[in-house]
Amino acid sequence: MQKQKGKWGRNVKLSAVVMGAGQFCYGSRMKGLLYFLAELSILYYFITRGFSDIRGFFTLGTQKGDAWLGVGGDNSVIMLLMGIFAWIVLAVFLFLYVQNIRDVYRMQERVKAGKRLYTFKEEMAQLLDKKFYITVLALPVLGVCVFNILPIVFMILIAFTNYGGEIVPPELVDWVGFANFKKLLTLSQFAPTFFRILGWNLVWALLSTALNYFAGLGLALLLNKECVKGKAFWRAFPVLAYAIPGFITLLAFKFMFSYGGPINWLITQAGGSAVGFLDLDAKWSARLIGLLVNCWISTPSIMLLATGILSNRDASLYEAAEIDGAGKWVQFKKLTLPFVLFSTMPVLISQFIGNFNNFGIFYFLRGGLYLDGYFLASDTDLLINWLYNLSIDNNYYCIGAAISLVIFFITSILSLAVYIKSPSYREEDTFQ
Amino acid sequence: MRKKRNATKVLDTSITYVVLIAVSFIFLFPCLWLILASFSKSGTIYSFEGFFPKEYSLINFKRLFTDTTLYNYPKWFLNTLFVAAGSCILGTFLVILTAYTMSRFEFKARKPMMKTTMVLGMFPSFMGMIAVYLLMTQFNLINHLWGLILIYSAGAPMGYLTQKGFFDTIPKAIDEAARIDGATNFQVFTKINLPLSKPIIVYTALTSFTWPWSDFILPKLLLKEKDLYTVAVGLMNLDETEFARFAAGSVFIAVPIVILYFFLVKDMVNGMAQGAVKG
Repeated sequence: MQKQKGKWGRNVKLSAVVMGAGQFCYGSRMKGLLYFLAELSILYYFITRGFSDIRGFFTLGTQKGDAWLGVGGDNSVIMLLMGIFAWIVLAVFLFLYVQNIRDVYRMQERVKAGKRLYTFKEEMAQLLDKKFYITVLALPVLGVCVFNILPIVFMILIAFTNYGGEIVPPELVDWVGFANFKKLLTLSQFAPTFFRILGWNLVWALLSTALNYFAGLGLALLLNKECVKGKAFWRAFPVLAYAIPGFITLLAFKFMFSYGGPINWLITQAGGSAVGFLDLDAKWSARLIGLLVNCWISTPSIMLLATGILSNRDASLYEAAEIDGAGKWVQFKKLTLPFVLFSTMPVLISQFIGNFNNFGIFYFLRGGLYLDGYFLASDTDLLINWLYNLSIDNNYYCIGAAISLVIFFITSILSLAVYIKSPSYREEDTFQ
Repeated sequence: MRKKRNATKVLDTSITYVVLIAVSFIFLFPCLWLILASFSKSGTIYSFEGFFPKEYSLINFKRLFTDTTLYNYPKWFLNTLFVAAGSCILGTFLVILTAYTMSRFEFKARKPMMKTTMVLGMFPSFMGMIAVYLLMTQFNLINHLWGLILIYSAGAPMGYLTQKGFFDTIPKAIDEAARIDGATNFQVFTKINLPLSKPIIVYTALTSFTWPWSDFILPKLLLKEKDLYTVAVGLMNLDETEFARFAAGSVFIAVPIVILYFFLVKDMVNGMAQGAVKG
C-alpha cells in the first residue's frame, strides 16, 4: 500500500489484524463474515497439516518406512507434492489478505468522501458486469493451476532431487542440487545418448517443419489456381487425411511398412528380399519414413490455414505486379511468401515446437526399441521419446525431469524471442 | 504470340491437374487401403498378398462387436465417446470464456497471464504426467473416466490463443454501443458476441472433441483395467495377425469424425484462419 493517500483508520487496522473485521464494522456483515471464514479455514488447514507439509517440503521425509518393524515411514514424493500445495495455499492466503486490506481501505475512502457504501448485493452484481472477468476466469485459472502448474512445478523440483531408479518410496528422496544436469552432460551413461538425440531432434524439427510448411503452402497455392475446377472436390482428399485420428494413420503406416506388410510383399514378388524399414538397423530409412508420414499427417492442416490466409490477399498488388511484368515466380517470392510468412509466424513457431516434441511419430512407428550406443533409446527417438522411455517405462524420474527442463529451455528461448518480436504480439490492437 | 501463350496455359493446367491427381492419390490411398482391409475375409495381414484383400466380407465388423472376450471394442467405444463428449462440452465452455475475457477485458493480470500461458505451453506436454498420475492417485481418480475428462478440460484453457485471435477481430464498437444501451458485460457476451462466434465455437468444439478421441498417452497411464480402455489404447495392442480387426475398429471410429469434419470444414477454416492470423 505505497500509494495510500490517507492514514489507516481504525477499521483498516482491525482488518489487518483479523480479516473482515473492518468490513464488519462498516456494516458489510456478509463480506466481513466471508473474509473471516476464509481466514479461519486457511488457519485451520495450516495448523492441522500445512505447517508440517512445508517442513516436509524441505526435509522430504526423515523416517524411512520399514514393513518388518511396522513403521509407516515418510513418503517423500507425496510430501513434496503436499509441500507445493501448502505453498500455494500460503500464496492464496497472502493474496486474500492484501485484497482484504485494499477493500477495507477503499471503504474507508468512500466513507470519508461521504459516498454510500456498496451493499453486498451490488458487489455481487458487479461480478457479472464490471468485474465479469474475475467470475469468468476463476474456474479456468483454478483448473490450470491444479492440472498444469502444480504438476510442472513438481517436475521442475524433481529435477533437483534423486527420485527415480532405486530411490522410490519407501526409500527416502533427497535434494541433490544440479547433480542430474551434470550427469546428463558428463556421465558416460547419459551424455553420448543425450547429444546424439539432441542433434537428431534439431535436424528433425527443422526438416519436418520446413517440409510440412512448404508442402502445405504449395498445396494451398495449387488449389487456389484459377484453372482448377471443383476446388471442394480436390480439397476433400487432404481433409480426409486431416480428419483421421493420428494414431490410426501412424499404426496403419506401421503395418504398411512391416515385414509382412504389402510393400515388402511387392518387393519380394519383384525378386528382392524383405526390407526391415523400421527395424533395429534401419536408421535412415526409418527416419525418412518418419518425415514423410509426418508430412502426410500435418500438411493438410497447414493447407487449410494457408487457404484461409491466401483469401485475404490484396489482389490489386498482384495486378500491379503483372503490369510491371513480374513473372509468377517473382510474384510468389516478393508478394505471396512474405505475406503468408508474416501472417503465419505464430503458427510456424507452434509447428516447430510441435515437431520438436513430436512424440507420436516414432513412438508408434518404432516404439520401444533400445539400441546399442544409446541408453534406453533408439536412433530415431526424439528427446521427448527418450523422456518417456526414461521416466514412464523405466522410472528414471529425476533424469527425465532434467531432460524436460532442457527441452523447455531450448523451445522457450527459441520461440519467446520470435514471439515477442512478432507483429501479432506487439500490434495486438491494430485491427480493432 | 497469343498461340504460344495459350500453349503454356494448357501445359500449366495439365501439369496442375497431374500434380493434383498425384497428391489426391497419395492422400486417398492409405485410407482406401484401410477401408478395404476392414472388409477382408481373413484377419491377418499376411494373407493379403499385396495391398488389397482377396475376398471381402463383413465378418470383421461382426467380430468387432460380438467377439468381445479378449478385445471388448463396444465398451472401448462407449468409454471413448463418454470421455470425448465430456471434455468437449467442458473444455469448449472454458476455452471460449477464457479467450473472450482475455480479448475483451483490460485488467492488471492480463499481460502477465498471457506470458505465463506462453511459458507453460513450452513445457513438454507430458512432463507433468507423472505428477498428474500421483495427483490422481491422491484424489482417487485412477481407473475413472471422470479423471480423464477433468484433466482434458482443465488443460484446455491453455490453448486459448486461436480463440482470442478470433474475438479480437469482432469490433469492440458493437460492445460499446450495447453498453451505452445499458447492457451488462454478461449480457454483451451472451447476447452479442456469442451468436457472432459460431465458427470459432465449432472449431473449438471439434478440436476439443477429437483430442481425447485420439489421445493415447493419458488413457494409457490412467486406465489400468482392460474394460476401461479407450479405443486408441485398445487398438494399439493389436498385432499383425489382428490387422483386419484393427482396420475395422479404426474405420468405425474414423468415420464419424471424418463426416463431422466434412460438414464443418468451412466454419473451421474461417475460425482457424481468422484466429491464427491474429493469434
